[in-house]
Amino acid sequence: MADAVIVVTLLLTAACATAAVTQRDPARQALVLSVLGVVLAALFTVLQAPDVGLSQLAVGSALTPLLIMLSVRKTRRRGRSKEDRE
Amino acid sequence: MNGWILAATLALGGGGAAVLWGVTTGPPARRILAQNLATSAVCPALLLLSQGYGRPSYVDLALLLALLGPVGTLVFARLLSDDLAGERPSAWGLTWTAAGLGLAAVVAACAAAGPGRAMVKLLVIGVLLIAGNVIASRALAGGFRRVGGG
Repeated sequence: MADAVIVVTLLLTAACATAAVTQRDPARQALVLSVLGVVLAALFTVLQAPDVGLSQLAVGSALTPLLIMLSVRKTRRRGRSKEDRE
Repeated sequence: MNGWILAATLALGGGGAAVLWGVTTGPPARRILAQNLATSAVCPALLLLSQGYGRPSYVDLALLLALLGPVGTLVFARLLSDDLAGERPSAWGLTWTAAGLGLAAVVAACAAAGPGRAMVKLLVIGVLLIAGNVIASRALAGGFRRVGGG
């Protein structure tokens, strides 16, 4: 019974990761990825590793989505200017 | 397994399932709202877990999440502003429900911790969580459009 919280968080993590893979648009993938980062931090806390959870929270909830969104924006702009030239 | 961990399990399971459903389906506006909701569902759960395991240092995770969660949402609101231009996502009922959940968790943890430094820390987390949630929701609803220039 005490493992119920671990099972719930593990299932949630697995579902989030699967959802992140099945999305087609990179921007939407980044949104699911940031949720995955938060859920993964909760999983680490439940497994009694809060130090790992802290770094996962910092990287997963804000930094990785920011990097992905910036690169998506840059590639979209480059694609658009190339279309304009042709 | 005590009542704190049971409550955290319920918050994680219910909130997590709702967030996952919202973030994988529907228009971009709804997805960003669901991403914002993830912070306000998991942060109270972390507070409850810290009480349940009897380890006050676990509260640091909730503090970091309350700080960084709204930052992540604002990043999306800024960089996806083209997709959000047509529709202004707002779900104030949901926002205030999430804020109420955070408030309930903070008050319960405060009551268990008793007066002292721990209680001040919990109150700071509560203020950060609710203020961040409301600011992110307001930014998504277009309240800061003139300021942000988006």
